[in-house]
Amino acid sequence: MRLDEDVLDDLSLGSVFLATGGGGDPYVSLLATRQVLHANGPAEMIPVDELDDDAYVVTIGAVGAPSVSLELLPSVHDAEKALRAYEEHVGRSVDAVVSFEVGGGNSLIPIAAASACGIPVIDGDGMARALPEAQMMTYPISGISPTPALALDYAGNVMTFASETAEAYEHEIRAAAEAMGGMITAVEHPMSGAELKTSVMRGTISFSIELGQLLRERRGNAERLLAPLTDLFADSLYGQIFPLYTGKVVDYSSSVVAGFDQGQARLEPFDQDGPAMTIDIRNEFLVARMGGEVVASVPDLITMLDLETGTPINAERLRYGQRVAVYGVGCPEFYRQPKALAVVEPRCFGFDIDFVPIEDLRPGWLQR
Amino acid sequence: MLRIGIDVGGTHTDAVLLDGDRVLAETKALTSADVLFGILEALEAVLAGRPNIENEVEAVMLGTTQFTNAVVERRELAEVAAIRIGEPSGHGLVPKIGWPADIAACLGNESYAIGGGHLYDGSLLAELNDAEIDAVIADLRLKQVNAVSVSAAFSPADPSHEIAVGERVATALPNARVTLSHTLGRLGILERENAALLNTSLLDFADRVVSSFVDAVRQRGLTCRFFVSQNDGTLMDADFARQFPALTFASGPTNSLRGACKLSGLDDAVVIDIGGTTSDIGVLQNGFPRESNLVIEVGGVRTNFRMPDLLALGLGGGSLVEDKGATVGPLSVGHRLVSEGLVFGGKTLTATDVVVAAGAAQIGDVDAVSDLDPTTVKTARARIVEMLNQGVEKMKPSSDPLPVILVGGGSVLVTEKLVAASEMLRPEHAGVANAIGAAIAQIGGETERFVSYDATPRTEAISAATAEATEVAVTAGADRSTIRVADIEEIAMSYMAGNTTRLRVKVVGEIAGLVGSNRAPR
Repeated sequence: MRLDEDVLDDLSLGSVFLATGGGGDPYVSLLATRQVLHANGPAEMIPVDELDDDAYVVTIGAVGAPSVSLELLPSVHDAEKALRAYEEHVGRSVDAVVSFEVGGGNSLIPIAAASACGIPVIDGDGMARALPEAQMMTYPISGISPTPALALDYAGNVMTFASETAEAYEHEIRAAAEAMGGMITAVEHPMSGAELKTSVMRGTISFSIELGQLLRERRGNAERLLAPLTDLFADSLYGQIFPLYTGKVVDYSSSVVAGFDQGQARLEPFDQDGPAMTIDIRNEFLVARMGGEVVASVPDLITMLDLETGTPINAERLRYGQRVAVYGVGCPEFYRQPKALAVVEPRCFGFDIDFVPIEDLRPGWLQR
Repeated sequence: MLRIGIDVGGTHTDAVLLDGDRVLAETKALTSADVLFGILEALEAVLAGRPNIENEVEAVMLGTTQFTNAVVERRELAEVAAIRIGEPSGHGLVPKIGWPADIAACLGNESYAIGGGHLYDGSLLAELNDAEIDAVIADLRLKQVNAVSVSAAFSPADPSHEIAVGERVATALPNARVTLSHTLGRLGILERENAALLNTSLLDFADRVVSSFVDAVRQRGLTCRFFVSQNDGTLMDADFARQFPALTFASGPTNSLRGACKLSGLDDAVVIDIGGTTSDIGVLQNGFPRESNLVIEVGGVRTNFRMPDLLALGLGGGSLVEDKGATVGPLSVGHRLVSEGLVFGGKTLTATDVVVAAGAAQIGDVDAVSDLDPTTVKTARARIVEMLNQGVEKMKPSSDPLPVILVGGGSVLVTEKLVAASEMLRPEHAGVANAIGAAIAQIGGETERFVSYDATPRTEAISAATAEATEVAVTAGADRSTIRVADIEEIAMSYMAGNTTRLRVKVVGEIAGLVGSNRAPR
C-alpha cells in the first residue's frame, strides 16, 4: 500500500481516537510528514508478513511532552537524520521502520522516515493504542531489547543508549527528553523481521486510516457512530466496542505527578438522573467508573468523542462543560496475556484494581 | 457616566445609550454599505432629543465584525512577509503552512526562517545571528516589503528575540508595519504566527476603519474616549485597535453574552439567543462566557483565539414546521420571515406562526393562522420546548437547574418555563444585548508562561503572573484599584518530569478615569 499525502489526515484523526486521550495533537507531525511525502513521494507500507525474517528493523518516533511541540516545532528532516545517525551508530543499514504506537504523531513519524530513506514502513505498531512508557510496548514485552537506541534533538545533537532493561531505558530516555529541549526523535528496538513478526500489532496503521475515514465521512453526533464503529472494530484485532456514557464534563482537575499529567474527569448525564462517570487520567484515559464501579480499564481502550462532531478528544483539550460520548474498546488479545498485563495492568499506573476485560464488566452495569 | 455602545454586525447596526446600568435609548437598523453613515445614524438615533448631552458622554465602545468579514471574504488583505525565529527547530515548516490556497495567495510568498528563540525552560534555543538578520532586512528592502510579522519559539514566555528583530526591521524600514506574535498571546507558534500574519495584513484596512469610526464619533460632536471591543470581552483604545485589528475576531458572540449578563444581573446562567434561523446557547460563568477549547479557524486559518462555547440549534423564528408539527427546523425562511410567514401574508408555516396560532404571541395578522390544525400547533410547540430543553441540558455546567436568559428577536417562541431552567428571564432591551455588551466592557490584561512549581512555589508563580497581567491591564488603561483576576488556567505538561505547568492569568478592571493618557501597552 502506497501512503501518499492524502491519507495523512485520516490517519491522524484515527490515531487520536486510538490514542485514548494521550499522544498529543498530531497536527505538527502531520504538517512535517506531509512535507516529506511531498518532497520524496509516497511511502511504501507493507504487511509485516511480507518482510524477510532476517531484515533489520527499528522503531522510530517522538519522545517527550507533546505540548512542547506547540513551540519547538519538529523539522521535516528529523526522522531521516535520526535514522541515518542510527545506521552510523550501529554500523549497518536499516531495512524497514515500524511505529512505537498508533497514537498521536507517532503514527506519522515512521512514514516520514520511510519516505525520506526509501525503505518500507510496516503496517503495524507496538501498542495498538497509546501508552506512556517504553516497557509497555509489545516489543520489550516480547523480549526484544530497546537498545542500542539513539535520540536526536532539535539541533541535531545525538545521545545514544545501551540500557540493560526496558525500565532503565525508559528512565534514561525520559531524562534525555527533558535535557534536550523537551521533545526528541528516538530510534530504538533493533530487531529482525522474524522478531517483529512475533511482537508487532498487525495492521493497525491501515486500520487507523479506515477509522479516521469513518470519523471524517460521518462527522456529526457521536452516538450515531456506534453502528459503523461496531462493524469496523468487528473486523479488527481489537475486541468489541461499547458505548459507555454520554454526558458533560462537570469537573476536570489535573496535576503533574512524576512527569505524568495525572488527574480525573467527572462526567454527568444531561438529564437529571443517572449515575456520574469518573475517568482517571495519567496522560491517557485509564480507568472509567460509573456510579463508583469500574466499567473499563487499561489496557482496554477508553476514548472520548466530542458529542456534536464525533471528533476524538486529547486529554489536554478536555474542558469543563464539554459535551462528550465515551466509548470503550477491548484491547488486542496480546495485552491480555499475563506477561503483558504485568506491565500495563491498572496497578502499573497506581490503581489498586484487577484488570477485568471490558466485555465481562459490561453486563453488570448494563442491567441497572 | 454616560456610555454609548455600538455593534456593527453583518446585518444590523445596533446602538445603546447607557447611564450607568440604565438604558436611556436604543436603536437597531440595517448595516449600511457606508459604515460611517450607519454609525452616524445610530449615534443620532440614541442622542436625538437630548440637547447638549454630548459633553456628558464619557466613552463610546464599538464592536465590529468588519475585520473577521475581511478575512472570510479575502478582501482588504495586504501582502505580509513572515520572519520566524526558531531555527534549527521547525526547519521546512514554513509560515502559512496549511493555509487555504486563496488566502495564502493574498498574503504572498515572502517568508524567512532564522536562528533564535527559546526553550520551554527559558534557556536559549539558539542565539540570534546578526548576519542572518542583516540578510533578511536587505531582502525585505530589495523586495520593497512594508508589512512584516515576527514570531519566535516560546516568545510568550520570553519575547526578547521578537523585540530585537522587530526593532532592527523598524529601524531599517521605517515605513514597515510590524506585528510581533507575542503581543497576540498564547502558546502555539503556528497559530500565534497565523494570528500575527492576519493582523499585519489588516493594518492598512484597520487604519481606514478606525479613522472612519473616530470621524463618525467626532462628527456627531462627541469628544470623549473611544474603544473597540475584543474577542475576550475587554476593550482596546483606538490606537491599539489600529495595531491589533485581529483582536476583534469573534467579539460579537462575546458581547451578546456579556450584554445578557448585564441586563439580567446574573453572573452564572445559560443564555439562549434565538434568531431567525438558529438558537445559539452559551453559558455565563462569573459574568464571562465559557470558552470553547476547540481550535478556532478564521477564514480557514488556524488561530489561537478563544471563542465562547456555543451550541447552535437549527431553531429560529423562521424555522419551517413540517410533519404535522413533529419537525421544526433546521430549514428556515430566515430574514424572509416578514414576507413568507403566514402571519405576514406569506404561504410558509413557520415556528412563529404556530406560536401566534396558540395565542402565545401577537405578531402580524393573527387571523391568518386561525384555522391551523390544533394538533399540529400543539405538537410543534412541544417540539420547540423539547429542542431548547435538550440544548440547555447539554450546555448547563451540572445537572442542577440554572437561570435561563432569553435574548434575540426569536425569543417569542418560548412561552413556558423550560424544565432545565430554574427561572426564565427576558430582560428588557435584550434585542440590543450586543451593543450593551460592548458598552459595559472592561480593560483586560493577560500573561502566559511555562513555570516549574518545583523551582517556584505555585502561589508565588500565580501572584507573579497576576502582577504582570495587572501591569498589562493598567498600561492599557484599567483602573488599578478595580482589577480582579478573571481566569487562571493551569495546564500540566505531560510526559515530562519537573512539575512543569503552563500558567495563564487574565485580569480585568474598569476603565481608569478620564485624566491621563490611555496609550496602548508594549
